[in-house]
Amino acid sequence: MFRKYIFSLDHKVIGLQYALTSLCFLLIGFSLAVVFRWQLAYPGQPVPIIGRWLGELNAPGGVVLPEFYNQLVAMHGTIMVFLAVVPLSVGAFGNYLIPLQIGAPDMAFPRLNMASYWTYLAGGLVMLVSFFVSGGAPNSGWTSYPPLAVFATLGQTFWLVGMFLLIVSALFGSVNTITTIVQLRAPGLTWFRLPFFIWAQLVTAFLLLLAFPPLQGAAILQFADRVLGTSFFMPSGLFSGGQAVNRAGGGNPLLWQHLFWFLAHPEVYVLILPAMGIVGEIIANNTRKPLWGYRVMVYAIIFLGFMSFAVWAHHMFLTGMGTVISAFFQTTTMIISVPSVIILTALLLSLYGGSIRFNTPMLFALAFLPMFGIGGLSGLPLGLAASDIPLHDTMYVVGHFHYVVAPGTIFALFAGIYYWYPKVTGRMMNEALGWIHFGGSFLCMNGILFPMLILGLAGVNRRLYDGGMQYALAQPLHNLQVGMSYAAWALALFQLPFIWNVFASLKFGRVADANPWQATTLEWAAAPTPPLAHGNFETIPAVYRPAYEYSVPGAADDFVPQNSTSV
Amino acid sequence: MEIPYTASVRPDTGVTNQKLGMWLFLASEVMLFGSLFSSYALLRSGAMTWPDQSSIVNVRLATVNTAVLIASSVAILRAVAALRGGNIARFRALMAATATLGIIFLAIKSVEYRGELAEGLRPSTNNFVGLYFVMTFLHAMHVTGGVLVNGFLCGPGMVMNRHDAPRFLGRVEAAALYWNFIDVIWILMFIVLYLL
Repeated sequence: MFRKYIFSLDHKVIGLQYALTSLCFLLIGFSLAVVFRWQLAYPGQPVPIIGRWLGELNAPGGVVLPEFYNQLVAMHGTIMVFLAVVPLSVGAFGNYLIPLQIGAPDMAFPRLNMASYWTYLAGGLVMLVSFFVSGGAPNSGWTSYPPLAVFATLGQTFWLVGMFLLIVSALFGSVNTITTIVQLRAPGLTWFRLPFFIWAQLVTAFLLLLAFPPLQGAAILQFADRVLGTSFFMPSGLFSGGQAVNRAGGGNPLLWQHLFWFLAHPEVYVLILPAMGIVGEIIANNTRKPLWGYRVMVYAIIFLGFMSFAVWAHHMFLTGMGTVISAFFQTTTMIISVPSVIILTALLLSLYGGSIRFNTPMLFALAFLPMFGIGGLSGLPLGLAASDIPLHDTMYVVGHFHYVVAPGTIFALFAGIYYWYPKVTGRMMNEALGWIHFGGSFLCMNGILFPMLILGLAGVNRRLYDGGMQYALAQPLHNLQVGMSYAAWALALFQLPFIWNVFASLKFGRVADANPWQATTLEWAAAPTPPLAHGNFETIPAVYRPAYEYSVPGAADDFVPQNSTSV
Repeated sequence: MEIPYTASVRPDTGVTNQKLGMWLFLASEVMLFGSLFSSYALLRSGAMTWPDQSSIVNVRLATVNTAVLIASSVAILRAVAALRGGNIARFRALMAATATLGIIFLAIKSVEYRGELAEGLRPSTNNFVGLYFVMTFLHAMHVTGGVLVNGFLCGPGMVMNRHDAPRFLGRVEAAALYWNFIDVIWILMFIVLYLL
């Protein structure tokens, strides 16, 4: 019983554990945003309904205090990035699908896989516990810049410990993923026959493996600064609250920023690459065509992975690190936009001439393209040092990265959930509820995020807890803040049909046959639906053809599974 | 259910799962220690003054410790060779020697720490002493992990050798990779923190 459902070694159960946990964190992270959007729309007014449960220390009379607002924003970022989106896209989708798609009986190291999940859960709980310690949750932003973070309340120490555990979990997961993909591919599944999703997961795993440890090192150093009184990030001559800080000094706050962004820029690609993989699968399947330029997409994603290690300081143009370094990093940043555009273009061209099936997964996948497009293109002015200077730390930046991650990655994850739900449960999700979920989410997401770009171009700073009301330049735009908040609350309501759909379809969903989407990849073509409890396949399939043999001229069906011997 | 290539080599990739997994783990460790060495370089190059390192830390004890760790690396390599050759008793002795040398390293290290703490040195004294404590302590934690694994492999872990010898050999080889990596990290630390 414990072995089967709790301390399971089966990649499918671990994948589902990851999925449920990270979806809970997604909901928690989103709820924090729902609360602080009230403060941005109606600064200084008590939060209705839930205000009295926020605690007298945080929100006396239901009015959110500035310190509590900072906690909400810092934890919204931390939870969404490290506890929701990465574990969902890598831990859940990767774990569940990689062995099925490459024809393996399980991940290469099942025990390590289990350890990865439990370390992740421990890290997540440490993060959540920080809300209840003295001084509340971390309030120095998800980037935890020192010296602010070194002076911050006890919650920041929890943040560092939680982050340490999450990075250990990511290390276990990525070692496992890479070894599985390299070693356990079915006979005949050569590199260029791999589904694009697998390539995306492979590159992502390398980013997790190599980019996360520097933040672990940085977290150890910041932990020492906070607990042992060292000065790694504390410069000499520092004053805090009018008092000279009694420390040895001689540290460098920029060192933290370099170490943090050395993680956090590849992290951006950790967020987006699995999403691209999911979208690729769904587009190929629902256009009934091979992906356009599959090989080029693979080369592009590998190049993207390499380049993502050489762009981090474009987050630091305003730190005064010098024009030469800025010029270098703005050049690499312009270079890295090329492979992203290649992948997006290839996905777009894949639509051309296809007889497209508009089902819920396809709707989300199609919406990913323009949404990620806006997110990516709005990033170009931020990658150039000159235009970054006026835009930096405005709402424009917030709009940019939310467009990439929220209607970009999260839409792709929704698409993946609708697409692989029958694989997991043997039943289809309800289409009508899916369309409501999609339409509502699409409108509301844009309702929240597009005004951010406008506010930012008008010069509204992103870190104002009153939505900018004390600045004359922001006052005429305040009605946008109100509108954005209503969109956020509507977005919350539009998630209800989805939550209902996930649970109700377990019982009431239409029963799916083995290959309900008529797909070619191994998880549908060779494995039973829902999959076997152990071992995935009755016999390990052999692979004879590329991943997307749709509408092959002369074939009996419009799809030829990868393990099919006859055309 | 059997996971393929756990201990046998996959023909087209030329490695076992165990070995590839360990190499990937070590790649990640390179980035972890690399970030700390880079921090050292950045802090030192940006510092107004930097203390004379060798007058603060105990170079003599650290030299002995370096020799101890190098000897343990030789011992574990001989242990792998003995196991490959099927000489179980010899393997067991050499592996136990490796673990013992690891414990001696930790003992000498703790004598060093005690001396420095007695002199009133604390991580907060200055950034060099802080980095010295943080980096060597992180390394000592890695040594501790290695000692536990090596001790396990010449003790209760040897049961596997009877029913799955190739997999046991793979484990020992992975442990040897790790142990030699920890040794290399120490040599770098010895140069950077004691001699430079």
